[in-house]
Amino acid sequence: MAVSANLLAVPVAAPLLTAALILLFARWGGRRRIRHQIALTTLALCLNLAATAILFQATAGRGERFVLQLGDWSAPFGITFYGDGLSATLLLLTALVALAVYPFAVATIDYHRDRMGFHPLYLFLLMGVNGAFLSGDLFNLYVFFEVLLMASFVLLTIGAQPAQTNSGIRYVVLNLLASTIFLIAAGVAYGTLGTLNMAQIAQRLTMASPAVRTVFAGLLLVSFGSKAAIFPLFFWLPASYHTPPPAVTALFGGLLTKVGIYTLFRSFTLFFPELLVSWQPILLTISGATMLVGALGALAQPGIRRVLSFHIISHVGFMLMGLAVAQSGNRLAVGFGLGAAVIYLCHHMIIKTALIMAGGAVELHMGSDRLASIGGLVTRQPLLAFLFFMSAISLAGVPPFSGFVSKLSLLQITLDTRHWFVSGISLFASLLTMINMMRLWRESFWGDYNRPSRVPVRILQSRIRQQLMLTPVAVLVLLSLALGIWGGPAFQLSMKVAQQALDREAYIEAVSPSSPISTPGAEQPLVSLQAYFSDHPKAISGMTARPLLESR
Amino acid sequence: MISLLLALAVGSLFASGTYLILRRGQIKLILGLALLSHGVNLLLFGSGRLTEGRPPIFLDKNVYAETIASSLPADPLPQALILTAIVISFGITAFVIVLVNRRHTVTQTDFVHGEYVPLLREGDPFDFSDSSDNVQHDWLAYEVDEVYDSEDLLPGLPAMPESERDESTAMEEDSYQWP
Amino acid sequence: MPELYLRLLNRILTPILLLLAFYLLFRGHNLPGGGFIAGLMAASAIQLQILSRGHRRVRRTFGPYLNNGIGLGLAVAICAGFAGLLEGTFFKGIWFNLDLPLMASIKLGTPVVFDLGVFLVVASFTTSYLLGLSRVSDTAAHRRDEAASRSGYSTAGPDQADRGVATGTRAES
Repeated sequence: MAVSANLLAVPVAAPLLTAALILLFARWGGRRRIRHQIALTTLALCLNLAATAILFQATAGRGERFVLQLGDWSAPFGITFYGDGLSATLLLLTALVALAVYPFAVATIDYHRDRMGFHPLYLFLLMGVNGAFLSGDLFNLYVFFEVLLMASFVLLTIGAQPAQTNSGIRYVVLNLLASTIFLIAAGVAYGTLGTLNMAQIAQRLTMASPAVRTVFAGLLLVSFGSKAAIFPLFFWLPASYHTPPPAVTALFGGLLTKVGIYTLFRSFTLFFPELLVSWQPILLTISGATMLVGALGALAQPGIRRVLSFHIISHVGFMLMGLAVAQSGNRLAVGFGLGAAVIYLCHHMIIKTALIMAGGAVELHMGSDRLASIGGLVTRQPLLAFLFFMSAISLAGVPPFSGFVSKLSLLQITLDTRHWFVSGISLFASLLTMINMMRLWRESFWGDYNRPSRVPVRILQSRIRQQLMLTPVAVLVLLSLALGIWGGPAFQLSMKVAQQALDREAYIEAVSPSSPISTPGAEQPLVSLQAYFSDHPKAISGMTARPLLESR
Repeated sequence: MISLLLALAVGSLFASGTYLILRRGQIKLILGLALLSHGVNLLLFGSGRLTEGRPPIFLDKNVYAETIASSLPADPLPQALILTAIVISFGITAFVIVLVNRRHTVTQTDFVHGEYVPLLREGDPFDFSDSSDNVQHDWLAYEVDEVYDSEDLLPGLPAMPESERDESTAMEEDSYQWP
Repeated sequence: MPELYLRLLNRILTPILLLLAFYLLFRGHNLPGGGFIAGLMAASAIQLQILSRGHRRVRRTFGPYLNNGIGLGLAVAICAGFAGLLEGTFFKGIWFNLDLPLMASIKLGTPVVFDLGVFLVVASFTTSYLLGLSRVSDTAAHRRDEAASRSGYSTAGPDQADRGVATGTRAES
């Protein structure tokens, strides 16, 4: 089946159009309007899942690449959407996570937040995340970052409890600073390279001076790393993730930091593949520190969601470790590290979402998530206890689950490239994860039944809501089990994805930015510029004439 | 010359924005964010070609050919980028102002907690959930120049008037409240 | 009444501002202008209304439709993108000429429709933001009045009369 490149627009356009329709008809429908909103949102999520599944099958399965030039404007002038295996994998997982969290959100979000526009905001967040995965243009990436940040700001602070506003301020300010640094990076790129198209930046960076490359890479590392919550820049995450409703935390934990990870993968493989070798000590140090700080910080935390949000940081360190060894494959194939990081990403998105949802269910049953004061839920909720246990040991990396496959492959590549120290740290962090997960399970499910809150939870009296809460967790745990059992084929697929992502020439060729003027350094007579513009009347502007100025 | 001025302006905007963000008061925080975004906008402006009297948009192809034969016109793209960045920072500043205001009505303070506050409290390090009692804010002395923000100037504030309690501030009575 | 001049000025300025907004909207494709600027211009006209007539009456007029305005604008803009699919690519511009009897032919196309959506979104969003902030300042003024009246002197402004109206209207909206 031939897949049109227009399919790339669906993950952005479908949530946006649905959110617009929900807002448009929000006034009508009386008491049933929330139901209509839920139905529309579910429809959009399913459509998104179908489109991304087709895209994944075509890119990761058959190795195709899709480029959508919006409005038929050729590459450096218009907005470019680019889809290859890496972005399609992340799109598919995003669609899965969003669709899995949604029933949980429907069951647990209170009526107040429903009325304040929770459902359109959910779709806006999805649209921003999808757009960031698809974007082939640096400034467009910034815009999608802002869209998803804006939606996450509102989702985080909607309801305006004191704790929420306190954490909201920190989250907002630190993320805005990261965006500002990213915008500075975009300005540096445009000022020195004369383009914002990612393929063209990759083309021209090879000829740019090392100073430009270093500054650009440093700015991108700081801003994307801050989004991904790497070691010195993670403070916004544990300060804010425990305050919104668990459905929102599950969505954030599944999606938000992964955007930062994806952009780190994309920018380092596309723009500076040589820095993956020369900056390897820096990246490995950061990843080791991130793993260790996340796991140790989680050990000190008193609540379920706080522990889990520190574990997000720890796992970001694992993925960064995979990126750091992406270029160095001596005995194993080149790109083995990135493949391992991709499969780790899949495992993490699936199981972390499941775990946060299960933790949220515990919190809802107990009225509190403080480990010291709760306990003994296993007698009342055996199914929840089972699911929580399964996802906890999957996160820790016990064999039949996906955590084992992904951690094993990461360990294999780091040991093979003789990074003994960082692989030791990763083993230690895994051990700490295991301890933490067992602590969580023991404190919340074992012992005498102890429910500190006297507030009756009306939500739990409805059977359908309980099913809506537990079914997505069960589905995600099954997915993780499947990923672990069929680990071989899954790993081959992710290796294919990684090698596709590492192939910069194919990216540049697929986008094929028409460059009327040659790259800086090469002499080009002025006449050809006029000839170009007479051939392309649409491009009448001095937009790309900048490198010419430098060459004169 | 103009690029030197531009660099100075960008630098001073960044410096003052960073300084303001590091202060405790939230009005200063908003001002600092606004100054930072202005600094970035100026930086983007400087990343384009700075020319004089040669507009970037041509309605006539021949005029364009003539102009480009002598000298390059201005670069229109940075202006588009700046416009987009202004739109985004406008929306975000609006959101932050509303958030700060809402936080002020909820917690009755303009103050962002320092990290040392929870360390001095027993138990849970990151727990602000029961911060509704104003007692714990009392020992956080305001900075001297923040007195004008203080509600102490208006003693004995009344509760929110009945007419202001619409559906956006009301909560469902029986719904479960997340901590 | 302190707002007398504003009220007089308002009657003259608001139509001019709105006309200017539409002018900017429709010239925006090739010349300076466009949906965002026009939306801000329209929102400034509404802000003039808020200043001169009090935010409660403006809220009664526009308030219920603001979310719908944002939704409609987004839907219009994205549908302009879908129209491009007829020519093969998402967001491809489709142009056609409109011959009017008096003027020369006008070129219309999907980018104009997109701009119209942007205009709606910006105008509605900015208006709702302005209305929200005016309520905030109103609450602060109310508190200051209360505190002042308790301490012995009153600075009750002209806004007090307006407040009585608002409590009645809130029930219906």
